Amino acid sequence: MPVPWEALIPFALVTTMFGVTGTAFSITKRAQNDGKPPRYGIDTWDEMMMDRDKRLTGSARGQSSNPVAPESFATNSAWYTEKSQ
Amino acid sequence: MATYRPPGEQSNSPYIDPTPLPSSVPRVNELGVTSAPLKSAAFFIGAYCKEYNEDFMLCKQENRNPAHCLKEGRRVTRCATDLIEKMRANCAEQFEKHWQCLELNNQEYYPCRKPERVLNKCMFDKLGLTKTIPGSPAGQKQVHEVEKPIFTGVQK
Repeated sequence: MPVPWEALIPFALVTTMFGVTGTAFSITKRAQNDGKPPRYGIDTWDEMMMDRDKRLTGSARGQSSNPVAPESFATNSAWYTEKSQ
Repeated sequence: MATYRPPGEQSNSPYIDPTPLPSSVPRVNELGVTSAPLKSAAFFIGAYCKEYNEDFMLCKQENRNPAHCLKEGRRVTRCATDLIEKMRANCAEQFEKHWQCLELNNQEYYPCRKPERVLNKCMFDKLGLTKTIPGSPAGQKQVHEVEKPIFTGVQK
């Protein structure tokens, strides 16, 4: 008796669809995060540090191990002049 | 309406503070290290700069006014900058590997024990600093020294 290969088509379809959407999702997330996996479980400390990273490097996931900060870092903090309108 | 609007967001040019520090305050270059390398170096900063950090924290406990603790704050910044420069001079490669591993793992220590061990060994050999976790239970091994940990990353 011939193998009922038509019965396996739905499995292949579903696997492909999950695979394509999963890969596309992973690619968009990595593109938003400078090629790294996204951060999760972020608390206020992590938000503050990511804001500091943004002030230092221009992007919230950008990292640098330079011991001395760039010149603009001393004056680009908006915290001191915040007010709610 | 009282909504929160961050000051830097509403203009096209970068935000420059209109009220910088006066020139009577001695200027110290800020630490340019971002979060991942800082987390990697955290316990070494704690070991190396212990006195300055404790001074600053006790000073802050007296009075939370920022102007009160500027001197202790400058000392903390200088000590941390000094240690980062030493780390980069002595253990640059191991340091890079460890913090890049942290960046790929949500900045958590547990998946990156291998690069961490290499970095700890290099730091101990070259600079004599060990990582000790304050408050860990007395009789047991520290959690980063356990050979077969229960919780590890799922891959590798």
